[in-house]
Amino acid sequence: MTVFKDAEALYDILGGFFSDRVRWTDEAHLIHQVGGPITFIFERPAAQICWVPEAASAEPEEPSSERAPFRLVLGAAGPTPLLTFRQDGDTAHRFWLGLLDLQQALARQQVRAQGPLSRAMKLLPHLDAIYPLYPEYLTSRGHGDLLPPAAGLRR
Amino acid sequence: MRGRARPAGRGERGRQNQGGGVALSTQTIQAVVIADYDQTPQVEWVELQDPGPGDVRVRIHAAGICHSDWHAVTGTLPLPMPMVLGHEASGTVTDVGPLVERVRVGDRVVVTWVPACGHCFWCLNGAPELCETANRGAVSGTGADGRTPLRWRGQPLHRFSWSGTLATAAVVPESGVVRIGPDMPWREAALLGCAVQTGVGAAFGAPIVPGDTVAVLGLGGVGLNVVQGARMVGAARIIAVDPVAWKRELARELGATDTVDASVDVLTALLDLTDGRGVDVAFEAVGQVPLMALAFNAVRRGGTAVMVGVPMPNAELSLNAFAFPSQEKTLTGSWLGGSHPARDIPRLEALWRSGQLRLAPLTTHTYALHEVPEALQDLLSGRVARPVVVFPDAEAPATRARTHDPAQAEEE
Ligand SMILES: [Zn+2]
Ligand SMILES: [Zn+2]
Repeated sequence: MTVFKDAEALYDILGGFFSDRVRWTDEAHLIHQVGGPITFIFERPAAQICWVPEAASAEPEEPSSERAPFRLVLGAAGPTPLLTFRQDGDTAHRFWLGLLDLQQALARQQVRAQGPLSRAMKLLPHLDAIYPLYPEYLTSRGHGDLLPPAAGLRR
Repeated sequence: MRGRARPAGRGERGRQNQGGGVALSTQTIQAVVIADYDQTPQVEWVELQDPGPGDVRVRIHAAGICHSDWHAVTGTLPLPMPMVLGHEASGTVTDVGPLVERVRVGDRVVVTWVPACGHCFWCLNGAPELCETANRGAVSGTGADGRTPLRWRGQPLHRFSWSGTLATAAVVPESGVVRIGPDMPWREAALLGCAVQTGVGAAFGAPIVPGDTVAVLGLGGVGLNVVQGARMVGAARIIAVDPVAWKRELARELGATDTVDASVDVLTALLDLTDGRGVDVAFEAVGQVPLMALAFNAVRRGGTAVMVGVPMPNAELSLNAFAFPSQEKTLTGSWLGGSHPARDIPRLEALWRSGQLRLAPLTTHTYALHEVPEALQDLLSGRVARPVVVFPDAEAPATRARTHDPAQAEEE
């Protein structure tokens, strides 16, 4: 049984997590150091989410509620990505729970990355601050059933 | 770089509060720092903490430069920045921390880059080169506790795989150093840290039987040592492949019987040299995906291809799947030559002493610390197989047993 039953569920849950939580963290600004869009391509379910960095000085005179450092493109190609990560929905879920060792996941092809990985190094050390937000978010959205049993909370 | 201002605290010991309330002394040393990817490495004054429990401080006398150092600069080996480069060296132990048992002040040592913990799954199963603790530290650029003994501009400074040996001194775990004899020249000993363990070890660990034919793809510091290792385990034919003519000649000097210019059709050349059968064992010593496929494709039915070069962590390799069962081919890898440094560095030293392992031909190009950027360029352009940084008194033969002070040392 997969975590996200279809693309809609993935956009709703994982997309919602990115747009409602990740984008508003202090760490989200580090995407500007990455220097380009990051695309996540999912299998099972087939889906695609792109993080597009927002220009820091985009039309300052125009008041906007969208002041997050990146915007999301759900389900469409988005701009040409600098980095692409391919994984299935369950792997992505475990990644954001902080249960996946990225080095191992690359070696086992659970995650396939294209592009200059070194640019992602700016973000990686800061993910530890973001991981706890995901279970919290799932619970707040009534998806507590998607949390692994506490005993399984280790890599 | 040469004219950098001398900070006030240079050579003096300061007290620094390192969290947890433990105040540790630091020294100011010179180190080759990369501030961020694709930046030119610079010699900087950095703070080096005194050795904590289980650690030793080594005054570096000679340090090799490896392609992996360059890959850290470009980010193709993505490691945390900023970072001190270097992971193979020789030097003198100047301080030991609490709980250090095997090493004493004054010992002449080789510094290597996989300080195995001795009790994880891999250490217990005879593969300390895959030590989980050592790997974690290598990836994070810190020690097992997530800390680094280095600081620069008030920030923690990472180090290449527990070592950071392109520096006047390094603080490393006791298991990251191995004692060497008093007669071993510093610059030759330095290469035992990475290139020799990796290259010779890969050959020793491969299924070569006396009389075999092997191919070595790529003749850098590692590949040339694969050639030597293959000779020592009795390979009858050693085919050395590289685009650079003088490296092929050096390979002959070290034991290669045949050479192939890598700019020709190498696969056809290797098949022609083996009556169309393919080589018994092939080594890839560059870390390029097409060469890895070539190594696999060049081995005979039942043969083994050994991947020694380090590609990018997200690199993928495409091979003919049918060849695995139908031709019983083996594809395997080798990390640090499968070395157990405390066991294998003395063996390598013994082989050097007997004349079977030759190190002098690999250490002909030496540089000062501030010349590391040039050394890297020479490495990339193929002008040098293994650049070696030597420090001012590197050739002094005597063992030293005194407190290290870089300020004093420089004025000697
Ligand atoms: Zn190396
Ligand atoms: Zn271990």
